[in-house]
Amino acid sequence: MKKTHIAIIIVIAVAIGAIITTINDASTYVGFAKAQEVPGTKYTVIGYLDKEAAMDYNAKANTFVFTAIDKEGEKSKVFYNQPKPQDFERSEEITMKGFATDSAFVAEEILMKCPSKYNEENQIAGYETYQD
Amino acid sequence: MEYVGEHLLPGILGRTFVALAFAAAVVSVIAYYLAEKQDSTSFKKLGRIAFYAHITGVLGLVLSLFYLLLSHYFEYDYVWKHSSLDLEQRFVFSAFWEGQEGSFILWLFWQAILGGILVFTAKKWENYTMMVFAAVQAFLASMILGVFPGGIRIGSSPFVLMRETADNLGLPWTQIPDYLEKFPAFMDGSGLNPLLQNYWMTIHPPVLFLGFASTLVPFAFAIAALLKGDLKSWVKATLPWAFFSVGILGLGILMGGAWAYEALSFGGFWAWDPVENSSLVPWITMVGGAHLLLVYRNKKSGLGAAFFMNILTFVLILYSTFLTRSGVLGDSSVHAFVDLGLSGQLLIYLLFFTLIAFGLLIWRYKELPKSKTEDDLSSREFWLFIGSLVLLISAFQIIFSTSIPVLNRLFGPEGWIALMEEEMAPPLDAIEHYNSFQLPFAILIALFIAVGQFLRYGKTKAKSFWKNISLSLAISIVVTALFAQLYSFWSNGLYLALLFTGFFAAFSNLYYWLVQGRGKFSFAGSSVAHLGFALLLVGALISNGKQETISQSKVFLSEDLPANENALMEQGDSIALGNYTAVFEGLKQEGNKQFYEVNYFDEPGQSSANFKLEPFLLMSDEMGPTPNPDTRHFWDKDIYTHVTYSSYLEPTTGDGYGKEAEVKLREGDTAIYRSHFVVFDSLKVRAGINDSTGEMERLTLTGVGRVINAMGQEFKISPTYQLEGEILSHEDAYLEEAGFKFRFADIDTETNQVIIKAWTKLDENEKPFIVMKAIVFPMINILWLGSILMVLGSFIAVWQRIKQA
Repeated sequence: MKKTHIAIIIVIAVAIGAIITTINDASTYVGFAKAQEVPGTKYTVIGYLDKEAAMDYNAKANTFVFTAIDKEGEKSKVFYNQPKPQDFERSEEITMKGFATDSAFVAEEILMKCPSKYNEENQIAGYETYQD
Repeated sequence: MEYVGEHLLPGILGRTFVALAFAAAVVSVIAYYLAEKQDSTSFKKLGRIAFYAHITGVLGLVLSLFYLLLSHYFEYDYVWKHSSLDLEQRFVFSAFWEGQEGSFILWLFWQAILGGILVFTAKKWENYTMMVFAAVQAFLASMILGVFPGGIRIGSSPFVLMRETADNLGLPWTQIPDYLEKFPAFMDGSGLNPLLQNYWMTIHPPVLFLGFASTLVPFAFAIAALLKGDLKSWVKATLPWAFFSVGILGLGILMGGAWAYEALSFGGFWAWDPVENSSLVPWITMVGGAHLLLVYRNKKSGLGAAFFMNILTFVLILYSTFLTRSGVLGDSSVHAFVDLGLSGQLLIYLLFFTLIAFGLLIWRYKELPKSKTEDDLSSREFWLFIGSLVLLISAFQIIFSTSIPVLNRLFGPEGWIALMEEEMAPPLDAIEHYNSFQLPFAILIALFIAVGQFLRYGKTKAKSFWKNISLSLAISIVVTALFAQLYSFWSNGLYLALLFTGFFAAFSNLYYWLVQGRGKFSFAGSSVAHLGFALLLVGALISNGKQETISQSKVFLSEDLPANENALMEQGDSIALGNYTAVFEGLKQEGNKQFYEVNYFDEPGQSSANFKLEPFLLMSDEMGPTPNPDTRHFWDKDIYTHVTYSSYLEPTTGDGYGKEAEVKLREGDTAIYRSHFVVFDSLKVRAGINDSTGEMERLTLTGVGRVINAMGQEFKISPTYQLEGEILSHEDAYLEEAGFKFRFADIDTETNQVIIKAWTKLDENEKPFIVMKAIVFPMINILWLGSILMVLGSFIAVWQRIKQA
């Protein structure tokens, strides 16, 4: 066998490794109900802000609590241990990465989607995620 | 119907130029094809003339759109969406390419220019390369046609009037002849996104799109060679273009990173965002493709791989275009373009060139020359080949992970073939995911760069090889040890390995240029580019791997929660940020920017500050407050800060209440406000009727409710809402014990809910505060120095290749 063939076989092996790792690393989009079945496991939940429920940001205590409604209509209280994202009230959709506990969903990272006009952004300039 | 006040002529001209650009490109494809098939100079002439007509069309449509933007003709949808009267003249370029249509035009423009150069320089390759160019241009021009033959939408035109857009068509105001005068909305445009009103938006897109356009040249040569069956001589003609592409696309990507770092608050220069990835991946394969061309030119081997990589690069550009513009990235990237409904057309564009290109390569595969001897393990060509494979697999890993939304469309529960039960979401920790693969790849690449220059084509003598690398090896071991000590790299094996191979690559290339090449300019190209890339890796490693968030909150919540990386700073108080003592001095308002002045002292109690940073929030109606960082640059580190929250953003009432909250309640509902239950028991309605007319004069609504505190104590509240004639008044309910104020703000007649607002009395002694994030990026200047050297070196290499050719 030629050396180049060996190299190509190695490359294919790494490629398969990359595919498997990606599938393993990938989280799944779920609702709050699914996340609550396995508390502590990290999930990505897409939902929107429940504007009828109170939202509280306390900068000194460093807590931000709000209620989100997922795509299946399930409500959950969400804790976010970061400053309140700018313009949070205007978000259309919230992507929350985090885990469920017995009382609330703890988001570690939040991405927001704002109404179309604000989003209609150019590749380079994107407004905003709030990424930490 | 005649509309009043519209300027139709420039729009008609613009559309005509688009049609001309499209039609002329199609004619050029056919003419160039016949010119080659029939070996006809008259068809060749026709092909050229058609391409010149195409260039004229492109230039004409560019000028038309500029004219519309500069004249503020807001009856045009594109002008209204992307500019406004108060937009400074210098931002007209940014407005031009802010939208998807404008950026297609920018791309079209660069390819027209490159095609124009190729007409004169391609010589025997002209017919087929120009045929490919014209075909790509025809597809691109179709993206801005904006026609609907038989109900199928082809392209989205930037020259469409507001009243003609799909959203507005048929609305009553489009039937009013003088709508432009009647409606104030048409007096001014909605304006350019304030985030994009900076010089990066003026210079970054043209460079990036020239980078995209430049990948078409090697692709066109490869396709021409495959079509002609002349599989070898294209390599020499393509080489300078391939390295031009490496340089300019690299510059475009790095400028994007610099912009993100300087002016956007993503907290770094690279975030593995899908949009960033999709421009990086073609660059990686272009680097591989250019090096494989070198292998073939010097050693006449690996031609198949060279074809493959150069074709793949352009296909990846098309794939990236599809990813970022079709709306498929939707949930996973925040800064993809909005979906214009062109995804079908983009998919055809992608599949057309992908299938034809790879089809041709398979068709010609048997004719490709195969080298009979095996490459020696000590030969340069062997390691260049391996290096290209590493680049290929690195590109594959990035694009595969970026394609998760595409996989969902194909194989998700609602996909084409439903293989997966749940939709995949991007990796929770994207940076960790990408780094776990890309770090080992980077180590290998750096190692190849370090030794590559000292390997010879054919066979390398071990003795001279070791002699040549020994000095740089020794120096890099010492320097690595020094940096590892300074920035504590010893505990992480992979980081240490990259630090070492990066330094090794930098020093050995410096040695190659200064000692072997005696510092001659003709030796500089590859050495400087490799030196730059090596420094870029080292700089990225140190600045990102050893970044330190010096703003730490003192509040402790729980073991499992990620440490908070934001510091609360009350005005006038000193707080420790790393080695500094920082004081938030106050707010300074300039136009739509809120600057937050923060002084940094070396010691607490020092009389004068070491330096001052002013991160700001950009306030705008459309986007709300947007944070902009401010960075202090030292030679060995940057201190990067941005405001994540500010008490100035909290709405306060005139009488000193703040912490506003709003809820909608029905009778019997309970809400929670600041650890208190708020129960809405009943709604009392009183109407004052005028006896003589029978009309209602006064409506008084009282919300009867209770507030229950944590101890279970109950307090009655009854805020009132009164409508007298047209005059609305509120009688607020106060709860002195807790400092609350409640207002019966409004009533939602659709859902029959009352809207209650609540505030808390603010402590008069409470100072304004900001919440700020501060990150130290050590040695980030190595990254920028490396970037500049890499781009510079690439262009020197292009210049040398042109001189050779």
